[in-house]
Formats: sequence, C-alpha cells, structure tokens
Amino acid sequence: MKQDFRMTYSLWNMAFILILAVMAVGFTSSFVNVTKTDSSLSIEAQAFEGFVLFAALMAYLVLITIYLIALGSYNRKNPDKKISAFSIRPPEYMEQDEGMTFITRKAVQKVYTFITWSLPFFAVVVMLAPVPKLLIIWGILAIAFGQNLIYYLEMRRHLKEAAE
Amino acid sequence: MLRNRVKELRARYGYTQSELGKKVDVTRQTIAFIEKGEFSPSITLSLKLAQALQVEVGDLFWLEEE
Repeated sequence: MKQDFRMTYSLWNMAFILILAVMAVGFTSSFVNVTKTDSSLSIEAQAFEGFVLFAALMAYLVLITIYLIALGSYNRKNPDKKISAFSIRPPEYMEQDEGMTFITRKAVQKVYTFITWSLPFFAVVVMLAPVPKLLIIWGILAIAFGQNLIYYLEMRRHLKEAAE
Repeated sequence: MLRNRVKELRARYGYTQSELGKKVDVTRQTIAFIEKGEFSPSITLSLKLAQALQVEVGDLFWLEEE
C-alpha cells in the first residue's frame, strides 16, 4: 500500500501548496514598480522578491516534472489502476472494494467537517479585518493544506491499523 | 455491535489475509478491517466469506449487546 500512488497523492498536493505559498510572496509583493513617462516605461524589480518568485517557479517546475515521472512509473507498473494526471475526480480516493470505500468515506467526512468550519470562519476574518492579499492567499492555501493533511493522516491511520 | 470469527476460521484453514481476500475478491486491508471489527461487511461479502470459510453466515457473524 505504501507503493500506492493514491496514498502519497496528498503528500504531493501538500508539497505543491507549500511552493505556491512561497510563490505568492513574489506575486503579491510590490516588487514591480512601473514608472511611465511620455517617452519611456521602466519596470524595476527588487532583487529578493524577484529571486523568491523565480526560485519558487523553478521549484514548482522541478516538482511537477518529478511528479509526472513518478506518476508515469506508477501507471506503467499498475496498468489496471492507472491514474490520470488531469482528472477532475481526486485520484487519492481508494475505492477498490467496500472496505477501502468505507475508510475513504470516513476520511472524506473528516475533510468535509474541516472545510465546513474553516472556510466560513476564514471568510468572516477576511470580511472583518483588513487582511493583506498575501495573507488571504496563505489562508486559502492553509485550508487546502489542512484538507490534504487530514485526509492523508486518516487514511494512513486506518491502513497502519490494518497492517498490524 | 457486530462480532465475527473471521480471524479464527481463517487461521484454522491456514489462509493469510491476502489469500482470503483473493477468494472473496477484496483487498487484504478489507479483511483486516473486518477482523478488527472496524468495518461491517455487506450481506454479499458476508455470504462470500461464509462460503470461503465453509460456515453459515450466522456462525461467522453475530450481534452482541454493547
């Protein structure tokens, strides 16, 4: 089960979310100053934030390359349960039989409970407080991270118990 | 609460969880969930398990007061 890509899929998601969080620093900062005159347009980028954005973009590209290689390898080894890189339905669902469907449903219920509370709570915070754009993005990413973490830990707990 | 003798009868026949799972067309993990009482199988799976372990369903699964 450790080799099952569906089990590690949430970990990949969390890694992508962390890189997006770093990327957001670059995208939301005022590192780009556009100065326009009658005859010229100058764009100035601050070195640190520009570097953060560039490094995050590179990290994202590297991670997505590794992810696609790992996914291709998994699909070659498991032709009967291939995972599409671009499916709408989350590929981490494990529903090969009724027992696995049962634990997947339990994990999804926990995630649903988390989302039910965290999203409205976050919306209220953003409405009431003058939250900068970066913190709004981080908040959304934190909820997405939490969703994946809850799902992964719940599935791992059940599968660990089954292995004992 | 649903109790069962899956583990005991599986051991009697010398099946591993994977082998029993293959016989009834489920994963090893599902057999483990049933044995631990974490998951109550469907009637279909209960009948398949009883058939594989050569017992009546009522001898394999029973309800116990909590």
